[in-house]
Amino acid sequence: MNILVTVKNVVDVELNIQVKNGAIVQDGLQYVMNAWDENAVEATVVLKEDQGASTELVCIGDGTATVAIRKAFAMGIEGGLLIEDEAIKNVDSASYAKILQKVYEQGDYDLVITGKQSQDTDSGQTGILLAEFLGLPCVSNVVTIEAIDDKNLKVTRQADGNKEVIALQLPAVITVNDSINEPRLPALRGIMQAKKKKIKNLDLSDLGLSADDMAASKTKVLEYQAPQSRGAGQKFEGDAAEITSQVVNLLATEAKVF
Amino acid sequence: MDFDLTEEHRLVRDSVRQCVEAEIKPKAIETDRNHMIDPKIVQTISELGFLGSYFPDKYSGAELDFLSYIIVVEEISKACASTGVLVSAHTSLGCAPIYMFGTEEQKMKFLPPMLKGEKIGSFLLTEAEAGSDVANMMTTYREDGDYYVLDGSKIFITNGGYRGTGIVFASKDRSLKHKGLSAFILDLETEGVVITGNEEKLGIRGSYTTAFGLDEVRIPKENLLGEEGDGFKIAMETLNGGRIGIAGQALGIAEGAFERSVAYAKERKQFGKPLAALQAIQFKLADMAMKIEAAKLITYKAAWMKDQGQANSLQSAMAKTMASEAATWVTKEAIQVHGGYGYITEFEVERMFRDAKITEIYEGTNEVQRVVISKMVLQ
Repeated sequence: MNILVTVKNVVDVELNIQVKNGAIVQDGLQYVMNAWDENAVEATVVLKEDQGASTELVCIGDGTATVAIRKAFAMGIEGGLLIEDEAIKNVDSASYAKILQKVYEQGDYDLVITGKQSQDTDSGQTGILLAEFLGLPCVSNVVTIEAIDDKNLKVTRQADGNKEVIALQLPAVITVNDSINEPRLPALRGIMQAKKKKIKNLDLSDLGLSADDMAASKTKVLEYQAPQSRGAGQKFEGDAAEITSQVVNLLATEAKVF
Repeated sequence: MDFDLTEEHRLVRDSVRQCVEAEIKPKAIETDRNHMIDPKIVQTISELGFLGSYFPDKYSGAELDFLSYIIVVEEISKACASTGVLVSAHTSLGCAPIYMFGTEEQKMKFLPPMLKGEKIGSFLLTEAEAGSDVANMMTTYREDGDYYVLDGSKIFITNGGYRGTGIVFASKDRSLKHKGLSAFILDLETEGVVITGNEEKLGIRGSYTTAFGLDEVRIPKENLLGEEGDGFKIAMETLNGGRIGIAGQALGIAEGAFERSVAYAKERKQFGKPLAALQAIQFKLADMAMKIEAAKLITYKAAWMKDQGQANSLQSAMAKTMASEAATWVTKEAIQVHGGYGYITEFEVERMFRDAKITEIYEGTNEVQRVVISKMVLQ
């Protein structure tokens, strides 16, 4: 089983991100692997360990993405492609999916595993669009993967309040939920081995695409807006009964929660 | 010049940080209170390779560089100095002398279980009457067929309670002073090795500090490290490398106390504004930041020089001294920033204050470091 896993390099959202004039201030930003992709990498490495699957990652990004790629290598992914091109800037999920489609078509893969969304844009479209472009079956929001044989999987997806168990014939695309596993920490030995693994660099022309294909992006982000900063809290004084009545009153009249 | 960490160092740092946040930090108060590191923590750090960071793959090490090792100790010590010194003493004092002075057979035999964390390393040098004055050692050895037989006692042995693999020093002839010392690799479960006490301490309480009696301890001749009479040289060179590890530990303690102080100063309100708005507190934080930055630069530089194969005794001694003095100063001020809460266990800076002090003492007191430094600058 040959698995292609997607890894997105995203801004570390745990750090304070500044927005100025509708754009994110780039100075001082730090990058990490998208959290859902860590789950996708873990699921892929488990299939490698249990089924002997061969594993490759693809990342669309720039030079800052190599730390995320090396981390995936350190977790156990065997090889990686970095798709870097000036024309891939501010493009939408469909454009990402178009690039991934070409990567898939140039390789020999049985299964694509992606995180169900990325923590920077929260669109959750790329994996599903990729399956659509490739005409492959797709199961989203997957929480367990079981290999029946080389060509068949049994997967569970999380639905609203219940789970669906699905028989899936390969080739296929899976997008994973973060509850599927607990991504392993790279051991130091893995970090050493990651140094020896090769990152293959490709641009759009290597994939038979051009800047025009990216310019055809159907949606464009016009500006970014910082979230409203939270106002100061309100302090209540008095005995419990008085405070309760004040709080309930404000919840009803100001917050209008009732 | 390039002051940036490499990708590999950043991965090491992030991996250790995640492990610390998940497993070590939540148990730091308990580790101090129970005078013991949870065996699960030891197992986790072993599995992640933190006990074999810079040694070659063929001995089951992670084959990273010395700076990676320092980053491991630093990151762990930010949350728990006891676990930091477990790693540091194991690596610098237990594993390093075998790696530096052992034969290939000794390395292949002893290093893999140590680097995998199955045998925790320790260094049995100090005695009641032989601290900084190593040559005054009372433990003696004699030959008996294929064995050396040791008699004596050792104190203040970090990691001794794990009864793993120790590097033990003894004198063949006390009149020869330091020239009479030899070093041996000793399985601390060997018959005649008796734990005579575990010290109660001011700080690093999760770390074992064990006293041993050595009663007719028979060590196979193939466990002699280096040649007979090499003991003093082995001890000094081992301690030289160990200093950077202690600098890393001290640096981590200082950074941990600083991070808590910054967070507390932003959060705690007095006189209607956060402490961070008061210049008296701002200046404390500025002074802490400067001392930490200077300590970090010299510590990383000493590690980098070691990785480049450059002589680094001077920088190692400087790093150990500067980082340990930064740690004691920063942790003291961290308590002051926290006010009364700083004196309370739950806020952790009081523990860091207690933990910091030992870094000015062990692996060569700061007075010994100043002797080393002044000798070299006066040459």
